[in-house]
Amino acid sequence: MDQETTNARAFEFDGNWREFAPIAFTNLLLTIVTLGIYTFWARTRERQYLWSHTRFIDDRLEWTGTGLELFIGYVAAFVIFIIPLGLLNFTLQALAMRGEDGLAALLFVGIYCVFLYLVGFAVYRAMRYRLSRTYWHGIRGGSNDQGFGYGVSHLWKTIVGSVVFGLLVPWSMVSLWNERWNKMSFGPHEFHSNASVTGSLMGRYLLAYLLPIVLFVGVAIVAVLFGASFSGNTPQEMQIAAILTLVLGYIGFFVVLGLIALTFYAAYFREVVSGLSLGGLDFEFSARTTDWLKLFIVNFLLVVGTLGIGMIFLGYRNWSFFVRHMQAYGTLNLDDFTQSSTRAPRQGEGLLDAFDVGAF
Amino acid sequence: MSAPSENAVRVWHYDGASGIRREPLMTLAGQGFVLVENGFEHGPHAFEDLIAQGNVNGHARYGLKNRPGWSVTLIEGAPSALAERLPGSRRYGGVIDRIGLWPAVGAFAAVSVVVLIGLSMLPSVVARMIPRSVEARMGSLMVGDFGERACNAPAGSAALQTLATRMGMAKDVDLRVVDVPMVNAVTLPGGHVVLFSGLLQQASSPDEVAGVLAHELGHVENRDVLESLVRQLGLSVVLGGLDGNVGGYTNALLSASYSRGAEARADGFAIDALARAQVSPKPTAAFFQRLSKTEIKTEGAGALLGYLASHPISSDRERRFAASAGKAAYAPALDDAQWKALREICGSGSGKWKRSRMGF
Repeated sequence: MDQETTNARAFEFDGNWREFAPIAFTNLLLTIVTLGIYTFWARTRERQYLWSHTRFIDDRLEWTGTGLELFIGYVAAFVIFIIPLGLLNFTLQALAMRGEDGLAALLFVGIYCVFLYLVGFAVYRAMRYRLSRTYWHGIRGGSNDQGFGYGVSHLWKTIVGSVVFGLLVPWSMVSLWNERWNKMSFGPHEFHSNASVTGSLMGRYLLAYLLPIVLFVGVAIVAVLFGASFSGNTPQEMQIAAILTLVLGYIGFFVVLGLIALTFYAAYFREVVSGLSLGGLDFEFSARTTDWLKLFIVNFLLVVGTLGIGMIFLGYRNWSFFVRHMQAYGTLNLDDFTQSSTRAPRQGEGLLDAFDVGAF
Repeated sequence: MSAPSENAVRVWHYDGASGIRREPLMTLAGQGFVLVENGFEHGPHAFEDLIAQGNVNGHARYGLKNRPGWSVTLIEGAPSALAERLPGSRRYGGVIDRIGLWPAVGAFAAVSVVVLIGLSMLPSVVARMIPRSVEARMGSLMVGDFGERACNAPAGSAALQTLATRMGMAKDVDLRVVDVPMVNAVTLPGGHVVLFSGLLQQASSPDEVAGVLAHELGHVENRDVLESLVRQLGLSVVLGGLDGNVGGYTNALLSASYSRGAEARADGFAIDALARAQVSPKPTAAFFQRLSKTEIKTEGAGALLGYLASHPISSDRERRFAASAGKAAYAPALDDAQWKALREICGSGSGKWKRSRMGF
């Protein structure tokens, strides 16, 4: 029983927003009247909908996570990590107020390291949790690695990535992606990830990296030129011109920088997904910069145009974007596609919620 | 394959062990059901163990308790004998499904309101649990000696003491004047009351100062400042996580806003104290009125705003003081010589704010 995936798209999302709207609005209502506590159950309902409308080859995904386990995970993470971190931070302030600068600096570095470690740990645990709650053909994913080692990698690779003027950031991103996916599995198969920092990826990064410098010099030159041409006019006009240049430069800077950062991210995501394989399956991600741009612009307009209420559809839009651009090639032998033997985590992605970072 | 009968329905089935999809007949058997395929029987299972997992592509899907990955999907209409044994669908989560969405929304909203009211009352409860000795230590840590900004001209100090005694100030209250050109007075934890010199300059009679002082003494008596501190701390924990911003708390203390109830109680205390001392409450009422209206436009708008922000002035409040005026004979809070001395407590030449020293 081989599942051929060459003829049709392996991934397909067939939800529609009218069907999703009642879920989104009741989630919002219940979240408000429970002072936010329902958000864990809301997320579960949303995922149940999204997963069950996502077809992979011949059957749909199934989300089996529960709101209760997300809630417990969040409470646990808050008690175990966030409160001690907050207290340490408080101690830091107290030390600084007392003039113990050396000790305070040491503690600051310590807290920063612990924080970096925990962010990596949280991302890893959330991925492992999500895979362990995702079923396809009655088979789930997971990992036997608890992620403590990944936290250490995240710590030192992030630090190394940002030294040498941040030039190693692409390396640390790709290397961490490989490391975490290589520890994941689905059913009997291990994920293999061998993405690398390609020339084009590095090129786009360098563009984003050098752009601020180029722009800054450019704006300075323009300012000098314009300043000269305005010199005959009144001081008020010169002032207005200067302010206008500054404002336009400021907005333009972030728009252009955001666009170039997006070209890097689009290339990064295509590269890391194409390096991923599972059993006989290879994955691809087809979204180009313009696709990401469209996603972000529509998301932005949706939220702004509805005074924020459109936010409840962002999860839906992002998931649909993700599935529509995912592709898989190759074959999967169902005869030896047996249940995962990994230990399923008992709580949800609590730490991730607490830190408010994404998993992928 | 046997044909569907009146107590059987064709299902897609995953057993959670292998990824192969089977198409057995779900058949009633005693109190439970079995899955029959090619002469093999799986089960029996209890209907009570089935967990509704919603609709997949229009077909109802069920999981089985304690059997991760196990599922049956009804791919045709089930006969009524079977259908009525299947569990109802889960939509919002256990409790909400049982009592219905709108009753649940109502119940949650009611509980939330109670919780919010409870939380808003918590600071005063907590504040009253903090021992006086701890409060005194906090206060002396915060106050310091104000250095050269402390005002203690002997004649002025004597006049201040006279005024305080008339207002019935308790012995353990520490009352001081500091040379700060703000129309304000603050109460710090541990019974430290600080009058700013701007207040003495802005007041047109000692009775007005008496009213403001009595109001602050009311805050001391009711330990309102501690309650306000606890509320600020609690809010910052709830809203922003623990950011350990000690400077922020000190700042918050200076601009501490008491609850409306606390202000009303302090006013009540002031009215009683004025009546007992036979000082007319009318100047205090007039002072509030002046502060809220004309004086803002004419002078020291910025300085006045400080008072307005921390002491919301309403016409109700002014009326309350005015209404408390009885027919009794009133005496000025201080005689002319004492009032002149009090206004010069910050040294000769006082009467003009020493802006050069303030640097703003």
